[in-house]
Amino acid sequence: MGMMMKLNEALLYAWGLRIGRLDGFERLIAGIYGRPDRLPVITQPYTYAMGLHGLTGHRFFSEPEPFINASYNMGTYFGVDFWTPVFDFYNIELEALGQKLIWRDRSEPDVDSSDLLIKSEEDLKRLRPPVPGRDGRMPFVLESYRRYIDMVGVPPMCYACSPFTMAVLIRGYVNFLRDMRRKPAFAHRLMEFLSMEVVAPWISKMAEDTDAAIMVMADAWASQPNVTADMVREFCLPYIEKIIRATNSPLRTVLDTGSWGERSVKNPREVLDIKMDMMVPGNSFKALRPFFLLVWNEDYEELGIPYMRAYSDEKKVCLMLNIRPNLIEEGPADRIVETVRQAIKEGAGKGRFCLLLNLVPIGTPVEHVHAAVAAAKQLGRYPIPDDLDGVKCEIPDFVPYEEWVRREGRPVD
Amino acid sequence: MDWEAELSRAVSEGDEIKAVEVAGRALDAGAKAEEVLEKGAVAGIKEAGRLWQDGDFFLPDVILATEAYKEVMTILEPRLSPGEISYKGKVIIGSVEGDAHDIGKNIVIALLRCSSYEVMDLGIDVPLGEFVNKAKELKPDVVGMGAYMTTTMRGMEEVLRMLEEEGLRDGVKVIIGGAAVTRDYAERIGADGYGDNAAETVEMVEGLLGVS
Repeated sequence: MGMMMKLNEALLYAWGLRIGRLDGFERLIAGIYGRPDRLPVITQPYTYAMGLHGLTGHRFFSEPEPFINASYNMGTYFGVDFWTPVFDFYNIELEALGQKLIWRDRSEPDVDSSDLLIKSEEDLKRLRPPVPGRDGRMPFVLESYRRYIDMVGVPPMCYACSPFTMAVLIRGYVNFLRDMRRKPAFAHRLMEFLSMEVVAPWISKMAEDTDAAIMVMADAWASQPNVTADMVREFCLPYIEKIIRATNSPLRTVLDTGSWGERSVKNPREVLDIKMDMMVPGNSFKALRPFFLLVWNEDYEELGIPYMRAYSDEKKVCLMLNIRPNLIEEGPADRIVETVRQAIKEGAGKGRFCLLLNLVPIGTPVEHVHAAVAAAKQLGRYPIPDDLDGVKCEIPDFVPYEEWVRREGRPVD
Repeated sequence: MDWEAELSRAVSEGDEIKAVEVAGRALDAGAKAEEVLEKGAVAGIKEAGRLWQDGDFFLPDVILATEAYKEVMTILEPRLSPGEISYKGKVIIGSVEGDAHDIGKNIVIALLRCSSYEVMDLGIDVPLGEFVNKAKELKPDVVGMGAYMTTTMRGMEEVLRMLEEEGLRDGVKVIIGGAAVTRDYAERIGADGYGDNAAETVEMVEGLLGVS
């Protein structure tokens, strides 16, 4: 079925025409815009998949074959509704620009902060934009997406690094703070360059190659308390909007997300409002805006899920919550189930809700991930019963991961 | 404006260029290094801390103030004799081996310095043995470790074990924090303190050392 048909079917289901059965991708779309059959649960395979396959950071994050095979195996084994290839998305564009990275065996690579790309204003003048799809590991990303589409049959959710976070990473946090304060013209020049000559062309290239419906710019550094609301408004939001307007379409939503920090400020609403501003222009078709409100566990654990739900309802937007990665690592399974139950009780409402399993630590027992997925599937059926505490959740029998991979005949490498 | 007020203001406003210039001018005019430190740099960093506590400053303001303070210290330190500055305590702190994230650590350092602690920043990706070597060499009151990733977090247990093995554990308080770390984990590995955020970490250090 074509992408257009899938989107239509999911949207009609979300808005009340509940006929047919939803597949995982449709459930995600229906969950974003309304009420699906049950809440969608999505995951980022990332380093957990790398660990399950015993791959080094370098192989996993630079070779399409082991990267996609491990990610596919993990996403499929746990039976989540949707997964997408998640590489170290903060590094791709900046590495293509020439920023050095530090590689490690058991984790994603990091920017080498001892040798930053933009040490002075002069460095910006020397910088040449990467050729989208050719430089750095961009070919790895595109080839991985191509393989994903072949295997899964739907386009991936594509990731890019937001220009603000990229500016912090290649300039250094303290330097960029000083730039914003003392050399705002330079800070704006840097943002303009990264936005329109690096990120926007890369998003367009990924969109052209994959036909993706969702393009995400990740923006962890646009978080408070790292930066102030005024800094985000002046140096981040205008550029996000420019990129989005240059790259979105009625069939493609482009958004900026990943920031956090509601708990760190006196007025959490201000941070949530900024998160909404990062989403609002996402789709050129107004009915499909905004997209979702992603709130990380550190913030909702302190401020409460009901607070986040009330805000999401007010803005008529899907609330997406992750489950604390450490909890999934440490377990036990019962505690994970009860945490998911609580999230559903307080967050699932009448739809527009989604659970995310992200950054599952390497070495986490697979039973714990199965517990989280089972709880979401069994307890998250709409309409959510008033007495959710009375609903039992059974973790189904599962075969060990290695045995499943063997049995399915899946490549391990 | 006299140099004391000018320096204090430059530090609290995070203007490291001006701060170094004023400190140099004061020294050239005959002011003693400890005087420049106490009446200018420390006064400025304390003012930044006060403004932050009152909600008038944001963390970027505090971080830039700390950077200005650090720059001033680079010209004052060679001129100071040991024992001339009075600190509430000595802290060594770093991101554990394999971990290149340092925003949280830097915020903690900023706030500790604002609160008159002597802080040695061991940096990022600090080999586990280095925490122990530095504890032996510098005899700190507190060893702080940060981890952003669960994979690197496990190194903290190893540092605690090595401190014990070297007979150093009783002499120091060990505090841990970072995105990957939880209070449960801190308790489980026997750390003395866990900071959920930077401000809480400073209060915790005050409590552990019995100072205010």
